[in-house]
Amino acid sequence: MADTVQEFVFNLTFPFTRTLGTTLSTFSSALAQGQIIGVRTGGRVIAPPLEYDPDTAADSGNDWVRVGPKGTVSTWTWVPEPTNLHPLDHAFGFAFITLDGADTPMLHLVDAGSESAMAAGMRVEAKFKAPADCVGRIDDIIAFVPAADPSPSEGAGEPFVAPEENDITEMDAFCDLQYVDNASPTTIMWAKALMEGRIIGQKCPQCDRTIVGPRGMCSVCAIELDESHIVEVPGRGVVSNFTIVTPTPYPGQTETEPFARCSILLDGADAVIAQQEILDVPVSEIRVGIHVEVVWAPENERSAADIDNRSRGSGGDIIVGWRTTGEPDEPAARYLDRMM
Amino acid sequence: MAPSENDIAIVGFAQLPPERRTNLTESDLVLRSTREVIAQVGIDKSEIGFTVSGSCDYLSGQGFSFVQNTDAYGMVPAINESHVEMDGAWAMYEAYVRLLQGDIDIAMAVGVGKNSNSDPSTLFTVEFDPYYLTPLGTDTWTLAALQARALIDSGKATERDFAEVVARNRANAKSNPFAQVKGDYSVDELLAADYVRNPLRRHDLPPTTDQAAAVILARGKRAYDLCERPAWITGIDHRIEAHLPTVRKDITTSVSTRIAAEAAGVGKGPIDVAEIHAPFSFQELILCESLGLDASTEVNPSGGALAAHSVMTVGLIRVGEAANQIIKNGKNRTLAHTTSGPCLQQNLVCVLEGDQ
Repeated sequence: MADTVQEFVFNLTFPFTRTLGTTLSTFSSALAQGQIIGVRTGGRVIAPPLEYDPDTAADSGNDWVRVGPKGTVSTWTWVPEPTNLHPLDHAFGFAFITLDGADTPMLHLVDAGSESAMAAGMRVEAKFKAPADCVGRIDDIIAFVPAADPSPSEGAGEPFVAPEENDITEMDAFCDLQYVDNASPTTIMWAKALMEGRIIGQKCPQCDRTIVGPRGMCSVCAIELDESHIVEVPGRGVVSNFTIVTPTPYPGQTETEPFARCSILLDGADAVIAQQEILDVPVSEIRVGIHVEVVWAPENERSAADIDNRSRGSGGDIIVGWRTTGEPDEPAARYLDRMM
Repeated sequence: MAPSENDIAIVGFAQLPPERRTNLTESDLVLRSTREVIAQVGIDKSEIGFTVSGSCDYLSGQGFSFVQNTDAYGMVPAINESHVEMDGAWAMYEAYVRLLQGDIDIAMAVGVGKNSNSDPSTLFTVEFDPYYLTPLGTDTWTLAALQARALIDSGKATERDFAEVVARNRANAKSNPFAQVKGDYSVDELLAADYVRNPLRRHDLPPTTDQAAAVILARGKRAYDLCERPAWITGIDHRIEAHLPTVRKDITTSVSTRIAAEAAGVGKGPIDVAEIHAPFSFQELILCESLGLDASTEVNPSGGALAAHSVMTVGLIRVGEAANQIIKNGKNRTLAHTTSGPCLQQNLVCVLEGDQ
């Protein structure tokens, strides 16, 4: 059926802020000023610094050491086709670079022009962003580039005196991942039926329970259910539970006022459909036991685009919501002990 | 051997056919794999005292998929259940420890990974150090390639050695009905391919696989009710190294594997077959050395992780394959290994033995 989406592309994107703690704050604050530092612990200089000595788990302390900006490549690779998450949009190298004054390498990019320029032992130096663009994050260093002068870095290995208070104590980060999910046979069955104005469930031949929306299995008996187990259920039922959500502002949240989301037990079903919206009852008057019926979107406005494997039982843009029928509220005993 | 009540065995193993792209959900995969292993050992699901799965929501991109997956267990009445955000091999380890408490006799461990929804060249950036690695878009292929280059520069191996590992595993996989990548390839043909991350070519990288697998473990004499020749777990150990590969002293060896192998008693006798989880071809060379294996051990007759690599399932399959060598194939002492994290950060080693 052409109207049923088979693949869903979705982006998992969210910003977040990390607190840095003393060691990383010291590193970040120095980095924003163009100075790379390490920490001397257990007789060696670890750069970039860690809060703990990886050999002993002891606090690595605050014996800060200036390192770089030049260093030596110990191992390398080459990225011929960068992804959207790589800082450079042209081919580049990644390498372990032991900075002058340090005993452990750091991982960073090497913008070497060509793969053939890469080699263990090559001397490279850090190329920073413009000072105004530096925020104290590891990518303040755009990349390392072949060192014009391979001689040792000036001042490397000397102590670094950290300020009383660090300028930078937090780090902004951003998650940006893309997924392509494909509709499962059960999701396709559900979406097709909705497009035709039908609500379906699956009836388990073993326990006789009817599960709406279909999930391809009986979650009591742990057996597969398929098209042969489909039953039609009416678009009428009872609110069996609800929650009132007071929206807090976060990226992606479009609601601003409190709203209710209800579980509805459809007549003849043994599992509720969750996260449903009642259209004609104010939030303050939502209660369990209300009789409701489905409100379909007009046929020419229905879209199954939002009905994916993640939204089991969701009506997407096909079911607008539910409205009250005006019948007296149902006694609780009739809708208790049902499944999610 | 006459088992004591503290001896735990693998008594059943089922895996679904690996697919590059399934249209089923993780829950569907869990249902099919668990039903199969339960039927294989001939019990009712109510006889299982503990159920544990390994999966990761980031792979399929579905938040709380690990909760939805429990639908497949049939949890009415309520069951004793757990989950690890690790490969199913670690779920198996938790089941083993749970059985040692002595109050239940049967446990089931599951691994499931719908890997095809995400892009392995970007997904694993969120797994790494968030301060020093993630902002650079550091990807799992890059970290493996840095390790591979270090191995070459150390003189321990060559790109030809990597290709030989690939050719052998793909040839072995021909006799494995559960292999996704298999066939006869010449080393020269493999070496002619372009680099994805120098010195690694596409064939040195793991395939992308959707798959699930499940094992059933039993304690003491109960094992014989479920399996004619149980695969007794006689040693199991898990070790972890520093999360930043840059602070490890030598990434051309695997210290955690060596220590885990010693603790699991690998060297106490000959190992007939080893099923090793080497996501990248060259890591098999590092692992064989660190496990202390010699030429008398047959390595990855299944084709290993290069034949199918469903993250969260592949390690449990190593356990199942090593167990089947005892249960079905008459071997006496086998080894299963699985790894997790960048550059072989974490390693689990399990020794299995059959009754002599």
